[in-house]
Amino acid sequence: MEKVILNKLPVATFGWLNVNGAERDIESFGTGEEVFTELTGTAGSPAEAEISGGRQRFLINAKNGAEKKAIIYISGDEGATLDIEVKAQAGSRVKLVEVFEHSGAVLNEVKADIGEGAGFELVQLYIGGKDIVSGTDAKLTGRNAEFTADIGYLLEGKEKLDINLVADHRGKKSSSEINVRGVLGDEAEKVFRGTIDFKNGAVGAKGAENEEVLLMDEKVRNKTVPLILCAEEDVEGSHGASIGRIDEGQVFYMESRGIPREKIYELMARAKIAQVAAKIGHEATEQRIAGLIGGGEESE
Amino acid sequence: MKEKTQVEDIDRSLYDFRYEEDESNYLGSGITAEIIREISEEKNDTEWMREFRLRSMEIYNRTPMVEWGPSIEGLDVDNIVTYIRTKSRMSNDWEEVPEDVKDTFEKLGIPQAERESLAGVGAQYDSELVYHNVRKEVAESGVVYTDLESAMHDERYAEMIRSHFMKLVPPTDHKFAALHGAVWSGGSFVYVPRGVKLEIPLQSYFRLNARGAGQFEHTLIILEEDSYLHFIEGCSAPKYYEAGLHAGCVELYVGKNATLRYSTIENWSKNMYNLNTKRALVDEGGKIEWVSGSFGSHVSYLYPMSILNGRGARAEFTGITFAGEGQNLDTGAKIVHNAPDTSSYMNTKSISKSGGISTFRSAVTVNEKAVGSKSAVSCESLMLDRISRSDTIPVMDIRTDKADVGHEARIGRISDETVFYLMSRGLSEEEAKAMIVRGFADNVSKELPLEYAVEMNNLIGLEMKGSIG
Repeated sequence: MEKVILNKLPVATFGWLNVNGAERDIESFGTGEEVFTELTGTAGSPAEAEISGGRQRFLINAKNGAEKKAIIYISGDEGATLDIEVKAQAGSRVKLVEVFEHSGAVLNEVKADIGEGAGFELVQLYIGGKDIVSGTDAKLTGRNAEFTADIGYLLEGKEKLDINLVADHRGKKSSSEINVRGVLGDEAEKVFRGTIDFKNGAVGAKGAENEEVLLMDEKVRNKTVPLILCAEEDVEGSHGASIGRIDEGQVFYMESRGIPREKIYELMARAKIAQVAAKIGHEATEQRIAGLIGGGEESE
Repeated sequence: MKEKTQVEDIDRSLYDFRYEEDESNYLGSGITAEIIREISEEKNDTEWMREFRLRSMEIYNRTPMVEWGPSIEGLDVDNIVTYIRTKSRMSNDWEEVPEDVKDTFEKLGIPQAERESLAGVGAQYDSELVYHNVRKEVAESGVVYTDLESAMHDERYAEMIRSHFMKLVPPTDHKFAALHGAVWSGGSFVYVPRGVKLEIPLQSYFRLNARGAGQFEHTLIILEEDSYLHFIEGCSAPKYYEAGLHAGCVELYVGKNATLRYSTIENWSKNMYNLNTKRALVDEGGKIEWVSGSFGSHVSYLYPMSILNGRGARAEFTGITFAGEGQNLDTGAKIVHNAPDTSSYMNTKSISKSGGISTFRSAVTVNEKAVGSKSAVSCESLMLDRISRSDTIPVMDIRTDKADVGHEARIGRISDETVFYLMSRGLSEEEAKAMIVRGFADNVSKELPLEYAVEMNNLIGLEMKGSIG
């Protein structure tokens, strides 16, 4: 067994909090021969890939002005390793959607290089997962490069999710927006590390990060680590986090309308995920997610 | 080309004077059993303290440095003088204090502050307290404010000190806590009896005059039920080229429904490594209020910790950090919610300029039993130029669903629009920028006692020149 430190926090902090990285046995993830696939789908006709184990390497290469879109579904009990490289060249738009469907142990790494005037949109939905370690390194290298991340998670039982996302601002007037919404139930554990890193020279850059966490049961464990690193004067950065239960006022209102308490919690959890799913912009995938989170049963 | 408006560095000429030391009063440098025994002998330690020091030294030797935070490569602990014999016994009569020491504290305004606005004063020069005094009526109320060594040898307090000393910050906490346990000297002991509310503050001032030396004072404060105390701590040192070290330790015990406000203005010179540890344990319904201004030192690691251990205990942390040229100030706070219905609020500001690095680092932990707890953190950073750096590194670790935790942070610069608006109302650019920076620091300065708020405004030292850059 080879233990390695994954998802390293860009700047380490107090050791006793155990957030400087995720220690895992590398063998628990996908092994075997690496399979390479170039995803060449477009916004109108996205490339789709179904992964259920093994080691997978993907490339999305959007040449100048091109528009690319890919959707990857990860499921099955077998361990999987995904290594995704995104090249968004000048003026291009790339959208990557990843849907984790009650997967086994997954090591997911996304590395993006976003050129001048290019945009990279990342949507990740974690609907369960035994142990997911997910890292994203988005380098905003070009002037006016844009990066948005919409991340949703719904974890139950003893599921574990460890995320490390870095928006690395190098280009002038580059912008990033990270929105994370999640629900933790039973004894689920989650770590979210989100870093906005303004490098010297990223004049006029803007970055915003926000996480909302809904805690459903008394044994959940949530760690939120939102960093702003700044070596440039002319930037605007912000982060916010809100962690807690559903507002009792809302619960009272819905109970007064005849909705049982358990149902209210379920609805609120589903609404959080649905907000992120709405960013996918692909009807079949959105329906698939609605099926996973139990949407549509009201019409039965 | 127009000259860019600058905010000047802090003028520390007020603090930058020194007196020559007689080096025959220095014990050897470095951390050896021989030196520890010598310190113990010099201080007439009790047996348990002698053993405690030696045990701490062993912990120090086997504890690695932390793997995070600013570099302390420039600090060679083996060359730091850990103890300097005092020139005189501690006195409660200002006239008995040696002339150069007295002159030092006169320049820093300590006796004047005592006369005007303090209930008691302690003054430490290098390794030992040289002066301690408390107003008669305060002493009569049962409040004890004295140096820790005297209290340790007083049978009324000896057991109390033994049962509290380095129990909150054990030597195993980190390398410099172990170093402190081994070589500590000086510092204050405060005991406030049940129901006593001190209306005016007590103050301890720590001055490190010696070259290449360390200061390792220990402050122990115990507040009984329903009591109130405002304690002020000030620190400064003249500038030398050799590195100096401050590895003090503050342990605060806040009893049931008691409130302790602990204010610090830290203005060490830029050759100092400030590796200080502060911790408070708060009982049911009690409250700790930290007010912290970090302006000096070359490198700082400073994160006062509040452990909310009783139902309804509260913590507030208000801090400002100003990092200028050659400074790497890593500051923040840690809060542990360990009981139901506890609450905490953290509000910090940091300013970076002239290549200075300021880092806000925090941890909020809400444990399983802290049901119904609430925490809010707000931090704002201001970058005044392109060569400086400002990082924000907060962590929230939540282990119960019955908690409400919020966090917000912002980083930016002085907005041109705001400057333009103020100028359209008749202010010069200089006045406008000065007003914006003062306003940025206002929620911290208004928590400070008046004379400190004035000092802070002077420290921020807004000397504006030139025009829009």
